[in-house]
Amino acid sequence: MKTLTNILWWLWLPVVLVILWWFASAQSTNLFVPPLQKIVESTIRDFGNGLLLTAMATSLVNLVLGLLIAILFGVIFGLIIGETRRLRLILDPFIHFFRSVPQSALVPLIIGAFGIGAEPKIYAVAFACVWPIMLNTIDGTRSVEVGVRQVSRVFGIPKMLYFRRVVLPGAMPQIVAGVRVALPIGIVVMVVSELFASNMGLGFYILNSSSTFRIPETWGGAMLVGVIGYFLVMVFSLFEKRLLSWYFKSAAR
Amino acid sequence: MTIPQSIHTGTLTTTGNVLLKVDNIALGYGEGAAEKRIVDALSFDVGLGEFISIVGPSGVGKTTLLRGLSGLLKPKVGQVVVGGHVVSGPHPDIAVVFQDYSRSLMPWMSTRENVAFPLQGRGAGKAERNKEAEAALEAVGLGGQGDKYPWEMSGGMQQRVAIARALAYNAKVLLMDEPFASVDAQTRFDLEDLVIDLREKLGVTIILVTHDVDEAIYLADKVIVIAEKPATVVDVIETGFGTHRDQVATKADPRFQDARARILTRLRHND
Repeated sequence: MKTLTNILWWLWLPVVLVILWWFASAQSTNLFVPPLQKIVESTIRDFGNGLLLTAMATSLVNLVLGLLIAILFGVIFGLIIGETRRLRLILDPFIHFFRSVPQSALVPLIIGAFGIGAEPKIYAVAFACVWPIMLNTIDGTRSVEVGVRQVSRVFGIPKMLYFRRVVLPGAMPQIVAGVRVALPIGIVVMVVSELFASNMGLGFYILNSSSTFRIPETWGGAMLVGVIGYFLVMVFSLFEKRLLSWYFKSAAR
Repeated sequence: MTIPQSIHTGTLTTTGNVLLKVDNIALGYGEGAAEKRIVDALSFDVGLGEFISIVGPSGVGKTTLLRGLSGLLKPKVGQVVVGGHVVSGPHPDIAVVFQDYSRSLMPWMSTRENVAFPLQGRGAGKAERNKEAEAALEAVGLGGQGDKYPWEMSGGMQQRVAIARALAYNAKVLLMDEPFASVDAQTRFDLEDLVIDLREKLGVTIILVTHDVDEAIYLADKVIVIAEKPATVVDVIETGFGTHRDQVATKADPRFQDARARILTRLRHND
């Protein structure tokens, strides 16, 4: 009963908004604001013929691979930089610089430099996502209690074990928060990367439909990206709760 | 748990019966002219199996001294020698129980993992680690609670876990930094008696740093009073209570009262 109430609470606003949109747009003759009905029809059709599924698969593979590379580099370098004061002082401005550079604007350059195909798109996602993850990892590393550091020193814990069992788990809440920030950035860059020199993926679907004036498809593609983003964040939160159960439970006390 | 062989066989030929020797050390922060000296010309010996309290007023430099004894802070002058070896950094013969259990236990590890972690650092296998950890938990009265997380336990239990971790490390010397300062009075008595009990059963050599004069006398064979700036030893008192103590009887003992009066006078005199 409680879950049902929760679901209703969670669902009523989206449902109301979709209904409003449906009726408000029903009579629209504006080419760029098609009726919702047409958007839904075109989306269902392109799901049916496999067009959107292939596009989604292509995009998601790029996103996930890019994100994994970003996590790998962001966490490893973040831990090292966070634990090394001198390195932190030297590199801090660079990291903030790269973080502030508009990643979407760099995509054409990355693709220009690395050529067409999936790889440059994966690099573009990785490059955009690595900064928030790295910054958060550095912060997380700094927040590890002095007490557990002292314990590790007094008991002569070797460096690698110390990183793996003390610093990494201690920084994990912030690392995970960094990945959560990186996720939507990655989605945007994923789409943008497919607007250049591409014939696959959701970005291409959106660009191609809009340049041939199939506007309902453009809307459908963009909405689908939003839905994907939402679901990825949801799935990520579940993963987060499992990974950080000690953190949530100990904080609740 | 096995006690290191050297304790029983007395291989410490160079130092005789002295397990730990603090030889005229000076401790401070900073270098050269900018150095702030906290501890100076401080010496004492700790015999095998002895229980030493170091007592001094708040802010005298007890924590700095403990950092020096544990190898976390290198002496500017002099040396700390344990079992014939000069301590030049964290040393396998020295285990530490820190004051703040909530900061010294790792919340992402179960109690057993926390206790076993220093053993993992030594390269012990998982089965061995867990066995030692379980034995140490048993010794502090937490047998069978290894699967719990520290944050599922009370403060007193968490400090027992920290003590178990130090025991499992199998060091010759146990350093305790105000280990009972963050628990309530009753828990404090329980933990004090636990430490007395452990000492009696396992024969560990213990150095306890505290600002609590009563606690210092109640627990120790020898109370070292530190005061002045920079801190140095101003008095050494043998309590002579033997290994067995009682919260009521021991504290009512005239020797306890005498020691207490002597230390308090000493500390007031030095203000």
